[in-house]
Formats: sequence, structure tokens, C-alpha cells
Amino acid sequence: MSSPILEARDVYKTYQLGRVDVPVLKGCSMHVNHSEFLAILGSSGSGKSTLMHVLGGLDRTDSGRGDVLHKGSPITGLPERQLNRYRARTIGFVFQFYHLLPELTVLENAMLPGLVPGGIGRNNAKRRARSLLEQFGLSHRLDHRPRELSGGERQRTAIARALVNGPEVLLADEPTGNLDEHTGAEILDLLTEAHRNGLTIVMVTHDRKIADRADRAIRLVDGVLANESP
Amino acid sequence: MYQPLLTSRYLTTRMIPLLAVAAVALCVALVIVVISVMTGFLNMVRSSGQTLMGDVVITYPIRGIPQYDTLIAAIEEHPEIVAATPVVDTWGLLRMPYPEGDAKESEQVQIWGIEPESFSAVTGFSDTLQWDNVPDNVSADVLQDVFDHRSEEVADTVVPLLDEQHRMALLRATYHEELEDDAMVRHLVSIASDRELAQRIGWFLRHGEEHSTVLGAGAIAAMQHLEPRLHDSEQLRRDGLTLTRNGRAAIVPGRHVSKANVRTSTGEYRVAAGGYWWLPRFEGTLTTLPIDSRGGMLEPESVVLPFANEFASGVYLIDQTRVMVPLDVVQRMTHLDEAELVDEDDLTTVVGTSPARATMVLVRGQDGIPATDLRDIVRAAYRSFEAQCDAENLPDSEQPPRLGRDPGLGILTWEEQNASFIGPVEKERELMRTLFSIVYLVCGALIVAIFWAIVYEKTRDIGILRSVGASRSGIVYIFLLYGLFVGVSGAIAGVCLGWLITTNMPTIHDAMSAPPLWLGVSLVSASGLLVIWRGLHWRGCKLLPLLLGILGAVVLGALGIGELMLRQSGGVVLWDPAVYYFTDIPSDVDWASAWITAAAAAVCSVIAAAIPAARAADIDPVGALRYE
Repeated sequence: MSSPILEARDVYKTYQLGRVDVPVLKGCSMHVNHSEFLAILGSSGSGKSTLMHVLGGLDRTDSGRGDVLHKGSPITGLPERQLNRYRARTIGFVFQFYHLLPELTVLENAMLPGLVPGGIGRNNAKRRARSLLEQFGLSHRLDHRPRELSGGERQRTAIARALVNGPEVLLADEPTGNLDEHTGAEILDLLTEAHRNGLTIVMVTHDRKIADRADRAIRLVDGVLANESP
Repeated sequence: MYQPLLTSRYLTTRMIPLLAVAAVALCVALVIVVISVMTGFLNMVRSSGQTLMGDVVITYPIRGIPQYDTLIAAIEEHPEIVAATPVVDTWGLLRMPYPEGDAKESEQVQIWGIEPESFSAVTGFSDTLQWDNVPDNVSADVLQDVFDHRSEEVADTVVPLLDEQHRMALLRATYHEELEDDAMVRHLVSIASDRELAQRIGWFLRHGEEHSTVLGAGAIAAMQHLEPRLHDSEQLRRDGLTLTRNGRAAIVPGRHVSKANVRTSTGEYRVAAGGYWWLPRFEGTLTTLPIDSRGGMLEPESVVLPFANEFASGVYLIDQTRVMVPLDVVQRMTHLDEAELVDEDDLTTVVGTSPARATMVLVRGQDGIPATDLRDIVRAAYRSFEAQCDAENLPDSEQPPRLGRDPGLGILTWEEQNASFIGPVEKERELMRTLFSIVYLVCGALIVAIFWAIVYEKTRDIGILRSVGASRSGIVYIFLLYGLFVGVSGAIAGVCLGWLITTNMPTIHDAMSAPPLWLGVSLVSASGLLVIWRGLHWRGCKLLPLLLGILGAVVLGALGIGELMLRQSGGVVLWDPAVYYFTDIPSDVDWASAWITAAAAAVCSVIAAAIPAARAADIDPVGALRYE
């Protein structure tokens, strides 16, 4: 077994809902291997999305309670600036609701991560976004606004956006959750294709059938890992 | 750099930034218009001070200052002083020439006895004269006046210029029956006296036509010569500047003294009855109540004087009450002229003389010297004048009042002298400032609220941007850029709008007082078209466009109907000169204030944007993304 690219060690995460503390992750440990397609299974409220956000540096663990490591070095204590860079260069996020910016065109949405500090720069981003979108069959949609696209097209745009900076890990949160079965299968084909090209993918889902497409699946129950199948 | 891209998209794809730009623009325009008008107003107050009274005024009412020529000489010795002039200021009644008949109207007037030449050097009097020429519609009346009042002169000078042909034509034109027989006419001409012919000329001028064929060019030229104002374009102005008419002392009243000068709703002036009541044609009777040295009332003094011209200083209060009369006339009427003092027991024994007096001396300083400095110079000059009078050992009756010892004597700047006039103006300005500072606060709150709404709407976008690695400061930058753009474009639009409104103030004012028909009609028809259009498209229409359509139609219709009603009722006069002191609305943009306002608006917009921008930066990206 190769050394993990991402690792969570005994991670706790508590949200505050008004005055009530809601513990979501309660000492969760897991790892993601290089070039692995990992599925995180769990019912809603099990903390799977939160685990993904913590892995992607979008959210922090409760202070002092657990570590997230990228290639063996912790990201939990990183200063904000480096955490921003980590999100920009190392991680690509794909969300259930696509989360495209409505004012930008498909091409602009896809090249957006290339423009932030640490990104690959405007010209590179444009070239790469265009080639990814063409690869995903969206070459006729480059100048359209997200609202003019179908759900599948939107999610393909979001995946192109996640890949534009050439991240090491793609974190996908229920990427097919908002799509019909056929379109969802297309998206999964696309992810599988990307994985085949060497990309590490972590996919959150509640659907066992979808998780079957992955190399490995783990299950979160009530904030802790239930079992990790080999 | 993703911020310019996002900022420009946020600006161009939504209506809300337009609202923000409009709010900033309206606020800036409002401030510019108010400040410009108020500044213009105060400038008018200040400059009217110099126009009317010079810089410094020495006053000693009722009894007057004797030896004022010595005083003026002492003041004019100082190089900072341009000129000084004596004035006798009193109140009286002016019997006007209108209406026809014996029961004439009288106006209460403030009489200023002036020495025209030095008075013009101290004040802007020469620039305020109303009439340069006899108005065209008045010249026939002026010519007739010559016959009505000076028929003997006409008989002596004009009639001899008529040859027999002209005399016959005149008789034919004015005889009470048709004259066929030439011999008969010739006979009538031979027995007509010069006086009779003069009367016939007068009658003919009033009723006849083709004056030059009947009378001949020579006679007409001679008649015009009797009235120099008709052929010498400088005469009327010269009359006004010298306060004389045909060699007689004359009155120059303010433009609003005569009720025959009618201000139209558009702010222009015309003379009533087709120019018939043009004041310089007539004479007026000036009456004063002189007071003796013990404060007792003497017999009223009356004098009949012709009107020479009229003046318009632009200050309504002055133009409504003041009349200019030669100094010596007013001195006689107020008993402030030089007089012999007689023994109380033996009225034939002269015990001394009382010198002529002036109740005011107006002083004009060099430009650029503060009025307070000039006042101090005048005070020093007055002290040396007192010393001079002491040295001459003048009797008590000829001694001037003493500075510091005589409380009636005042040496004040124009602004101090007219504090009661300037005070309300300044109070008004303060009031406006206070009221408008509240308006600015409301505008500022509006902009913050709009930006807040924009940030709220973009919460999810902020989460997305954070997820792809955007920093908090990067997010702040988007909204600061946004605020800067809204502020700068709003400020520029506001300056343009403010400039448009301010410079068109007289036009807007005129439109309010005489609302144009086309505006009301087009507003009402636009409303009607909107109703028809909405009526044709109302099926399947969403509620918002329907509501906007109805609202638009109602607003347009109400504006149009309101305008038409305003028109029906004769419009409103916003700028009533009787209320605002001045006859014109200031309409120059105060550019310094305008640019300061614009810059302040831009800065305030950035600050207003900073508040929601900081909130945006603090948004938890996970929470923002969960929001759907």
C-alpha cells in the first residue's frame, strides 16, 4: 500500500446551531491513497460532506482535535494564505448543486480557479478550460450562461472548473445527486475517465450503487468510520 | 485577477447597481444644486452690498453730519480708499402719475439724496440704470408729450419749418370736414396762427397717419430735437446718471416702485398699458416731513420732479422702496441744507450759519482689501476730521458728532450695517445645511442597504470563490471595486445632473410658472398608451410587470394631470422676488463645491461598500455553499 495523499486522524468537528453544539465528526480517521477512487458512503447527517470540506481545507477541525495531513504534512494549522493556495492548487471541488457563478459564461466559470492567486494564470486557464470543456462535449456552450444549460452540462462545467488548475485530488460531494440516472451515469463515466488518467478522487454519496463505481468505499455513521472495506 | 471580471459582471447583469448609481447621482446632484444656489445667493447678497452702498458706511441719521466735504476729503486722502460720497437718507411719499384723473396713487419711499457723480464712483449705480433707450412702443407717446406740455415751444420752433404744402396737408388731415377747394384751404392756412397749427400737429400726431408725408422730414426732425431722448441714444442714460431731465432736477426710482412695471411670470418686465405708463414720461410729487433740531415736526415739504430713469439693483427690497434724488433737493426738503441761524427773540438778527449736512457718507475701498480693514481706516480718518474741526474753532452748531461720545454715529461695514438683512439669509443657509445633512445620512444609509443586499445576494458566489482558493481580502476587493465604480459613475452622473439643473434653473422656474401644454399632454398620452399596451398583453402576464405597468401609468398620468391642473391654475412662482430679496435665481454651478461633493460621494460609496464587503469576507464558505 502506497503512502496516503490525504489523511484524517481522529478529527472532531462541531457546529453551533444557535446555542446548541452539534457534533458532526466525532473522532473520524481515514486516508486517501494516491490515484485512488474513494467513495464515502453515509446517510444524510452522517458527516460525510463535513469530512470532505475538512479534507479540502474549506473547513477547519475543532481546534486541537485531530489533524488533516496532505502527503504527511498537516494542513490544519496552516496560515490562511497557504490554505487558500492549497485549495487552489491541490484540491478541486465538485458540488451537488454545481455552484456555478450565474453572471459568468461557461468558459469563464471553468477558468475561474486559474485566476485566483496560486492559479495557473489567465492564459493557461483559458487554454486548459477550453480543452477540458471540449473534451466534455461542451465546445458549443462556451459563451452560454449556466442558466441556459441542462443539469448534466452544468455539472460537466463544474468538473472542468475543478480540474482547471490540475489538482492532485478531486473532492466530489454527491455529484450525481441532482441528476437523473442517465445523466448521472454520464458524469460518473467522466469521473472514472479522469481517475483512469491518474487523478485521485474522493466522492461522497449516499447511494451504494454509485459507490460501487469506486475502487474502495468507506461508510460514515454518526461521525465515525463504520468499516473500511479493502 | 478575477476581481475586475466579477465586478464588471456584477455591475452589468443586474438592475441593483443602477439603483445604487442613481442614488449616488441624485444625492450628488441635490447637494450641488443646493450649494450652488445658496452660494450664488450669498454672493449676490455680498456683491449687492457693494453695488448699493460701497464698502463702509458712516451714518448719523436725522440730524446729519456737517462739514461732510472736509470729512470726505480726509477719507479720500488714504490710498486704500477709492471714493466717498454724501447721502441724505429720509422717508417720504411719492405721488405717482397713475391712474388717470386727479386721484393719484402714492407710494411710501425711501428717499436718497445723492451727488450722482461721486455716488456712481462709490456704488454700482451707473450699472443699474434700467433704460438705455426709449422703448419703441413708447416713442409716439413721448413725442405727444412734447405737444401736450410744450405747445408754445412747438409753435416757435417747429411750425415755421412747415412750408405751405405741408400746412395745407396738415389742415386737410385735421379739419373737421372734407376740404375739396384748394383756394379755401390756402385761405384757412393764411389765417391760422402758429399756436393753432401747433395744436393741429399735436392732434394729428395722436390720430393721423403717414406723419412724414404730411409734416415733412424737417418738421419731424425738429420735433424730435425738442425731445433729445428720442434722437440721442445716450440722453436717457445721461439723465439717469445726472438725475436731471431737460435741465431740471429729476427722480430715479427703483424698478419696483412703480406699479406700472409689471413682472411677468417668466421673470421679464413690461410696462403696463402698452408702455403708456413708462415712468420717465411723467412727473412725481415727493413729500417729506422734516424734523427740526429739537425733534419736532415741521411743515411737510413737497416738490414736483420729473422722472429721469429707473434703476434695478436686483435687490427687491431696495428696488421696491428707494428713489434717488439730487442731494441739494433732499437737503432742502429735510432742512439739512445750509441755513442762517437767527436770534430767537429777534428774527432779523443772524447769529450764525448752520452748514449743509449729510446723514450718510458711503465709502468705497480698493478691491481686495477686507471691509473690516477699510472700516478701521475710515474710523482713523474720522478722528483726524474731528481734530481738524477742533483746530478750526468752529461754533458748536457746526461741530460734527464725536466718535465714541455720540451713540447715533456709526461707522460700519456694509454687512454690519445690514445685519438685519443678511442675518435671515445666513440663518436660511444654516437651516438648509442642517436639513440636507439629514438627507445625506438617508442617502448614505440607502447606499449601505443596497450594497448589503448585493452582498447578501452573492453569498453563495462568495462560498464558491473561497472553495476555489480566493482569499478573504480578494473577496473584499471585489466589493470595494464595485463601490468605487458605483461611487465614481454616480458622482460623475450627479455632477452632470447637478450642472444641468443648476444652469437651467431659470428655465425650470419659467416652466413651473407657465407649464407647457405639450408636457402635460405627452405625459397623459404616454400613460394612456401604457394602459392600452398592458391591456393588450395582460393575459399570462406575471404580477410584477403588471404591477409596474399599472404604477407607471398611474405615475405618468398623475404627473401629466397635475401638470395640466397647474397650467390651468396659472402655474406656481417658486422664486418670488418679494420673498427672496433678489429678482433672479442664482444659476451658476459652484464648481469647487461640486468636485468636493463628487469626490466625497465616491469615497463614501467605497466606505459604504466596505461594510458589507467586510461581512462578505467573514462569511463561512461552508455555510455559504450549503445555502441553496
